[in-house]
Amino acid sequence: MPPQANVPLPPGYQLNEYRIERQLSLGGFSIVYLAFDGEDAPVAIKEYLPNSLALRSQGDALPSIAEENVATFRYGMKCFFEEGRALAKISHPNVVRVQNFFRANETVYMVMHYERGRTLQEHIQKHKGEIRESFIRTIFSRLLNGLREVHTHKLLHLDIKPSNIYLRNDGTPVLIDFGAARQTLSLDTPLLKPMYTPGFAAPEQYNNIRRELLGPWTDIYSVGASMYACMAAAAPQAADQRLERDQLAAAVKRWPDKYSRHLLETVDWCMRLNYLERPQSVFALQKALADKARSVPRVTFLGGLRKRVRDLIK
Amino acid sequence: MKFTIYQESRPGKRPTNEDRIAYSYSRDTLMMVVADGMGGHLHGEVAAQIAVQYITEAFQREAHPQLKDPFLFLSGALNNAHHAILDYAADRFLPEAPRTTCVACIVQDSIAYWAHAGDSRLYAIRGGRILGVTRDHSRVQRMVEDGLITAEAAVHHPARNRIFSCLGGASPPQIDFSKKTPLMTGDVILLCTDGVWGPLPSDVIPRAMSTGNVLQATPALLNQAEARGGENADNLSMIAIRWEDSYAEDTLGSVSTKTMPVDSFTTQMEAFAKARKGAQPLPNLSDEDIERAIQEINAAIRKYSK
Repeated sequence: MPPQANVPLPPGYQLNEYRIERQLSLGGFSIVYLAFDGEDAPVAIKEYLPNSLALRSQGDALPSIAEENVATFRYGMKCFFEEGRALAKISHPNVVRVQNFFRANETVYMVMHYERGRTLQEHIQKHKGEIRESFIRTIFSRLLNGLREVHTHKLLHLDIKPSNIYLRNDGTPVLIDFGAARQTLSLDTPLLKPMYTPGFAAPEQYNNIRRELLGPWTDIYSVGASMYACMAAAAPQAADQRLERDQLAAAVKRWPDKYSRHLLETVDWCMRLNYLERPQSVFALQKALADKARSVPRVTFLGGLRKRVRDLIK
Repeated sequence: MKFTIYQESRPGKRPTNEDRIAYSYSRDTLMMVVADGMGGHLHGEVAAQIAVQYITEAFQREAHPQLKDPFLFLSGALNNAHHAILDYAADRFLPEAPRTTCVACIVQDSIAYWAHAGDSRLYAIRGGRILGVTRDHSRVQRMVEDGLITAEAAVHHPARNRIFSCLGGASPPQIDFSKKTPLMTGDVILLCTDGVWGPLPSDVIPRAMSTGNVLQATPALLNQAEARGGENADNLSMIAIRWEDSYAEDTLGSVSTKTMPVDSFTTQMEAFAKARKGAQPLPNLSDEDIERAIQEINAAIRKYSK
């Protein structure tokens, strides 16, 4: 029997000092709500509720947890705490900020700062094929600042993808959803196996994950894949399939007229299958992006011009 | 005393695990017990838990470090466990006492003694052949033994799960005792519930144990029984030991009790239901652990907030 979907808490539900407004998203592991605190400021509240272990029915606040699942449910809570611990220590404009953590309804809740905006995923859907180089460079250079802060705290995000990159209304990016935080990785608990998004996870994250192979380069692969997705308006070929038969067209070959060679090469560099061939740290990647940045506008300008001329001839 | 031991209990495809297993040993004596709480009866797992706990505690009271009379011990322990279950039911005004099967074994001075009530089994295996096995307290099984029906017919017999002796029932249990069985190096003693022997053809268990590697053969047998049990696999539990020569070289994973203090015991009781499929028991997260984690996180949030 496939796990059923959980019923979210109803609008208007008073959860400690917070009032639930509506559900923002529903995942296999948790539900995220928009809520308002006592001072009517908006917050995002993440509720730990893995639907394979705990089910909430219509009209109930308390989920029902089968007796034999209690230990696993509690164990999964540990992973949720891991995410909270990871985020609590990071205060950076490009990383989601946790405000509070509490227990209620026999489960636990994480309160995060609510940002108005949309995900990069939504942005890509809306602007298919017309995302400019300057946009990619601006978003990702800021995002890398946040990711650098994360790595400084000896943490890996491990699930970077366009739907986990949030764009505030002022255009600045925020890295969200640290649910894949490393604890979940080393353990073989099938009920809670983290779901990686095919196309964005690095090859070393598949199958028998070898913990010692994961590093900043793992998140960097996902950053490269997210940039690739901005250009292609679709997820790149999944890394496990690439290992069998690499059909991913190099960015350099695919969009030579649309983006600078420098940016395309950087994307391809991040997405090398061999982790040793990728940038080894966020700093190395930032440096590479910045070094040649000055030469970039000219190239894009010429490339753009060439394309326009060609379009005219057609 | 030297032996290799492995025990494991799984819920199968059932929502709860009503099997309970335990072993305990002093310097000179080993005790193993398996109980299968009876579903359909109220609180089957309670009966199994009481039986296993009571017998283990009785063993620890009396084996210092040897039991005076192992058969007398088994008789007393099983009968008293039966009464402990009845007392539990009477204390709580339960309309019906919960019931459980029980098979227990003592090994002392390289001699095995066992007793049982119900259809949980003990196999003594030497060189892949059955040296001794308990006779189930089941009319259907007795009919098979007497040649009245075939083994295939028994599998589908409507009364195949009915047993006429158990602990906690309305009538006193019928307890059967083994002969004194001297053990040799490499002999295997195996206790299991019907969730294990039920789905397996009769020759599979002795054959699987012919290598004597209980650490590998036990989980392999459980896998096989669980797979054959299919969608409706019953709870499966098993304890197996391989008896070793006290003077032999150390075998990987074996227990030697030679250096144990006279008054100490080592006990392993699998009392609680495990998550389905998780072979390793999960580290338990208590309410205090949760509160502590939340406090820590909130402290970190305050500390790192600008």
